[in-house]
Formats: sequence, C-alpha cells, structure tokens
Amino acid sequence: MAPWHMQPELTLLARMRQGDEDAFAALYRKHRDTVYRFALLRTGSAAAAADVTQEAFLHLITRPEQYDPSRGSIAAWLCGVARNLARRDSDGREDATDPADFAGDTEVPAGLVDPQSPMERLLSDETAEQVRAALAAVAPHYRDVLVLVELSEMSYAEAAQVCGIDIGTVRSRLSRGRAQLADRLSRMGLLDAPARAKEAS
Amino acid sequence: MNPGDEMPQAPSDNSRALHPAVREARLVERIDALKAGLATVRAPAALEERLLRQFRDQKARSAAASRPRLWWMPPLALAAAIGVTSWIVRSIPPLAPHGPDAALAAEAGSGPFLALKPLDRIALEPAATVVTTQFPRALLAQWGLPVSPERAGEPVRAEMLYSPEGEALAVRLLD
Repeated sequence: MAPWHMQPELTLLARMRQGDEDAFAALYRKHRDTVYRFALLRTGSAAAAADVTQEAFLHLITRPEQYDPSRGSIAAWLCGVARNLARRDSDGREDATDPADFAGDTEVPAGLVDPQSPMERLLSDETAEQVRAALAAVAPHYRDVLVLVELSEMSYAEAAQVCGIDIGTVRSRLSRGRAQLADRLSRMGLLDAPARAKEAS
Repeated sequence: MNPGDEMPQAPSDNSRALHPAVREARLVERIDALKAGLATVRAPAALEERLLRQFRDQKARSAAASRPRLWWMPPLALAAAIGVTSWIVRSIPPLAPHGPDAALAAEAGSGPFLALKPLDRIALEPAATVVTTQFPRALLAQWGLPVSPERAGEPVRAEMLYSPEGEALAVRLLD
C-alpha cells in the first residue's frame, strides 16, 4: 500500500488516467524539473535531456498502468524511465561494463564519459559547471546513484527503485561514486581550497 | 568548457595531502555548489505545451478505442426498415378472390376482404368506402359462403366495401 503522503499525487494520477488534462499538467509541473535535471546530468546535453524528459512524460501518458505505487514515488518512477531512455540512447555502451571495474581511482574509459559535455556548457555558475564536468567523468553506475541521492535528494530506496538494484548496492555505489568524484575534482584542483577561497581567487 | 583540457592527469599534491575530513567537507561543498547551480535549471517551457497536446491526442485515441463499434448499425437500420415496410404492406387488407378458399379463410375469423364482385371491377372504383356493419349470418349464403345451420340465426359483424352507388363490393368478417 502506498504511503499516505503520496495520496494527493495518486489522486492526480487517477484523475489523469480518466482523461483530466489539469491533473496531468499538475503532475508534470511537479516533477518536470527533477526529471529534466536528472536527464541533463545523465546525458550531458540540454537537447537530449529535453527529449528524454518529453519521452518520460509521454510514457506516463501512454502507460500509466506501469507505475506501481507500492514500489516508490512517481518522481522515482519517472527518473527510472528517463534513465532507461538515456541508456537506450547511449547504444548500450554502459550495459557492457561492470561497475566493479571502475572502483577507486580507475580511469573511466573515454567511451563511457559523457561525450557531449565537453562541447556544451550546461550551468551558468562556473564552479557548478566544473563539478558537473567532473561528475560526467564518473562511471555511469556510480554517477546515477550520486545524482539521485546527492543531487535529487532521493532516498536510498527510491534510488534503488530507479536503478533496479538493492539498497545495499546503492550504499556501496554511492560510496565509490563519491570517492571517484572526489578524485576527479582533486585532479582538476577543485579540492585544494575551500569553495569561498576558490571563488575569491 | 572542455573538462578534458582542464583536468590534469595526476591528482593535485595539495588535495592528496588533505586530511580525509577536510577532503570530505570540500567534496560536500562542491556537491552543494552543483546542487545550487542545478536549482536554477528548469525544463524547457515548450515541453509543457507539446506534452499537453500529446495528452489531448492520446485522450482522443482512447475515447475512439473505447467507443462501441457501430459498423452493425447501417445493416440493422436497413433490416429494420425492410421489416417495418413489410409489416405495413401486409397489414393493408388484401382483396381476396371469391371462391371456396376465400370462404374457408373467412370462416376462420377476421381475415382478408372477400370480393363480392370481379376484382377488375373493384379496382376501377374511384372512391370505395369501408363501413362496419352487422347482419344475420344467413346472408353469407347469398354470397356463396358456407353457413352452418345451427348458427344461421346469429348476427355477424363485418366490414363492407361499398361503391359510391352503395353496391357491396367486398366483405370482411370480424367475428
């Protein structure tokens, strides 16, 4: 049974399934930015993120019955759909990898680093953009969990739902992902000074 | 920005030398910076209108799919029209030929009109009139219709078709 705090949006979902356009608009406005930001970090491209976001919500329109409230929130489900769409667009490169290969300081193969991010600046803030670039160099399996837990503020359970893994694996991937991100930031010299000092210089 | 250009291959000595707690704190600061940067990012406004249009299209498709299929309506309407027309035509009293078969039909109850004059003559009458009347059953014998002797005295109800001149052209028994 779905938690009580999910009832309002489950009501919206039920109304949407009956053809209520306002209910769909309300659901879209509630989750659009979460899905778009996740897609942006996943794909490294504003255009690709927009496509993935549109496809994810189109999935909600055409196959709402696939969402199971007992397994998590609508936001987590939409991010899971977006993740699958982004993985499909990556031509299966990620599926052929074992996350254990990228543990610790191991360099991620160039083919798995977000190929578009070097070409496109996505964030206006310089530091944020540098951290995003460092994040794009983290192995995809770890990056997903980092984005979901650290940046989208999802629970471990929701991240597990999105990635189709158990909570223990979420914990280990998050730990390794943070280590990889720290390593990438360190290589870029972004950990040498506190954030304010860096900005002041 | 090209992170590949800016990313040294070896970690900075300074960051390597950092105490793990400091390194962790700075990592959290950087993640927070990215989080703050992302907070200003919004999904493109054009997406909403596009998706609402797709929602309306999907709703229309679903409505069309759930609507009962009406392919059988035209044939059914045609069959109903034929049935009703047939019933109306059959309910118009035909003029039965005069003869033994007709007489038997008349005895069976309120059947068809029995012609008392030749059919071609009746067909030429421009304004024949139907009149409901009652007469002794024995009168049927005058028109060549069989009458049982036990019932000869009973009255019988009938519809008579008269010419404008008052000549009986046909009769239909109602009892």
